[in-house]
Amino acid sequence: MATVEVAKKQTYTMVQAIRSALIDEMTRDDNVVTLGEDIGPRGGVFLVTEGLIDMFGKERVIDTPLAELGIIGAGIGMALYGLRPIAEIQFIDFLYPGFDMFVSEAAKLRYRSAGQFSVPMVVRSPYGGGVRGGSYHSQSPEAYYVATPGIKVVVPSNPFDAKGLLIASIRDNDPVLFMEPKKIYRAVKTELPEGPYEVPLGKAAVAREGKHVTIMAYGAMIPTSLEAAAKLEADGVEAEVLDLRTLQPYDSDAILNSVGKTGHAVLVQEAPRIGGFMGEIAAFLAEKAIEHLEGPIVRVTGWDTPFPYALEKAYMPNVERIVRGVKKTLDF
Amino acid sequence: MDIKPFTDKPIKFMEYDGKPAGDIAALDLTTEQLLVMYRWMVFIRAVDDRGYILVRQGRAGFYAQVAGQEASQVGSALPLTKPDWMYGDHRSQGSQLVKGLKASEWFGHVLGRTLDPTQGRMMPHGSGRRDLHIVPPSSTVGNKITEAVGTAMAQHYRKTKDITITYFGDGATSEGDFHVGLNFAAVYGSPVLFFCQNNQYAISVRLEEQTHTKTIAEKARAYGMEGYFVDGNDILAVYAVTKHCADKARAGGGPSLIEAYTYRYGPHSSADDDTRYRPKGELEMWRTQRDPITRFRAFLTGKKLWDDVKEQKLQDEIKAEVAAALAEAEASPVPEPLTVFDHVYEKLTPQLEAERKELAAELSAS
Repeated sequence: MATVEVAKKQTYTMVQAIRSALIDEMTRDDNVVTLGEDIGPRGGVFLVTEGLIDMFGKERVIDTPLAELGIIGAGIGMALYGLRPIAEIQFIDFLYPGFDMFVSEAAKLRYRSAGQFSVPMVVRSPYGGGVRGGSYHSQSPEAYYVATPGIKVVVPSNPFDAKGLLIASIRDNDPVLFMEPKKIYRAVKTELPEGPYEVPLGKAAVAREGKHVTIMAYGAMIPTSLEAAAKLEADGVEAEVLDLRTLQPYDSDAILNSVGKTGHAVLVQEAPRIGGFMGEIAAFLAEKAIEHLEGPIVRVTGWDTPFPYALEKAYMPNVERIVRGVKKTLDF
Repeated sequence: MDIKPFTDKPIKFMEYDGKPAGDIAALDLTTEQLLVMYRWMVFIRAVDDRGYILVRQGRAGFYAQVAGQEASQVGSALPLTKPDWMYGDHRSQGSQLVKGLKASEWFGHVLGRTLDPTQGRMMPHGSGRRDLHIVPPSSTVGNKITEAVGTAMAQHYRKTKDITITYFGDGATSEGDFHVGLNFAAVYGSPVLFFCQNNQYAISVRLEEQTHTKTIAEKARAYGMEGYFVDGNDILAVYAVTKHCADKARAGGGPSLIEAYTYRYGPHSSADDDTRYRPKGELEMWRTQRDPITRFRAFLTGKKLWDDVKEQKLQDEIKAEVAAALAEAEASPVPEPLTVFDHVYEKLTPQLEAERKELAAELSAS
């Protein structure tokens, strides 16, 4: 019997997909450089840049002194000059020393110069809880950045999107905060197409189709939301899961389409509730979709507390809370 | 030319009365170059005087004069070439004009008109021009320091001979940006000049309350970099030191810190009252005994390169130029309201498009 040789396709975790995006883009365009702490011989603390210094040299894979202010500031200066820097901030909790540079300068230089200058920089950074990292290694600070005109905020939820969204972010001419859900960095392995491809910014994706309720989420809350949707199926509830993917600018059409169809919205985020990103989506739905809503808009979020180490489980939104949130709006 | 870092006294090439001091021949400056230096200083003071009056007349909202610091502004900008990059601060319009920003554009900026290359986006002192490599300054003190380092790193990566200069004041040396920026630049050997105009006051706080070092230049030692202490009211010295450091950077010698010791005549800005903190007589002493323009005029007169007739002719010329520049700015319109949405991003987002429609409806209703 003849055997058919099937070429084994390589599978990628999200970390490997992000690394692959960096390699493809750095190979394609020598304006692309990357800078950050421990990204050289160490390969980054999560090994996203493993081996890159050998491929591209230390002029393009730049280990920096330990100062996030300098990483963001120098990145801006490179981008203004015409390079496409990718700054790695080791944990998003450490972006605050560079916060002023990011929100006062990177975000506003295009506007302030009336379009003469631009900052095509990507700030990549792992975010979120579920890794026993405590307050300084678990936060979800997207609301600060979404509330800053001039910055785009992107959050992938799977390896395929991670690679395509990162490539689109690198090619984008505006500063992008690329938030990497470290809890699911290595959760799944998937096959990816050969070579570079883009997943467009500003477009949500339906992660699961359904007609009774829309569960909206992003990043690490997508697998949790999908699990909740599977559980709800047993009760006869067909939940749609909408993966927002880009928070600024968010995909208002996709949001209206989905909620227009289901009439119920459950909004899931890890970040604290007050002033959180999903508050914007709730207000948007209240303004634009009130005639379609058949129950209250429900938010399932982290609590309005700092991120706790020992009580992480009590803090993190989980499947049960999402299911309860869905029932709350369906039973209205 | 023998220019030494870490001197106890400021490097100078002229006495306060304009008498030569030091090896001026080694500066290798032509008569034409000397006269250009003088013209720039006189021009910048005239532009500045006019700009400040605009605030007093209620036609502009804010102004920060460079008066007293013309030698620092001009002397540091003249050694730059066209491809070099300039990161100014809130008091660097003199250097920006030398780099190529037009006086009419500057007035357009002060008045918030479309002639401003940045279209009135920032209150005065935030203009810039991409084609001249003048990056808009920031009001958050020190923010341009690490950016300048990044640009210099890029220039180095691209193997150019170009350099970047970043301007800041004595107060900025207390910010983390100063420490981080100097450290990064030294580590990478980036071609960047850190140009500190020490005018002795950060709004009202005097230098001795700002830092415990005797000079700012000596802080460079801690980063493994050379620091130069220069008389910021001596245009020959500022030019010589900046040129020296620029040449060094172009040749791969890395960054330098330059401290130009100077004095501002005006308040911090039109919103400040400097009589509350200056000791009596101090301003008068600097104005009458150490003025950078009077000093250089005396130098030129001593060299028989200048006289009263030439002075009068120059003053008349500049008066007309400044008046024409202001008139051009005033003839330029204020930006259209709907342009408020332009350039937030490269393209309008769906949310901005919706907001733009909202404002357009509001405007057509009124």
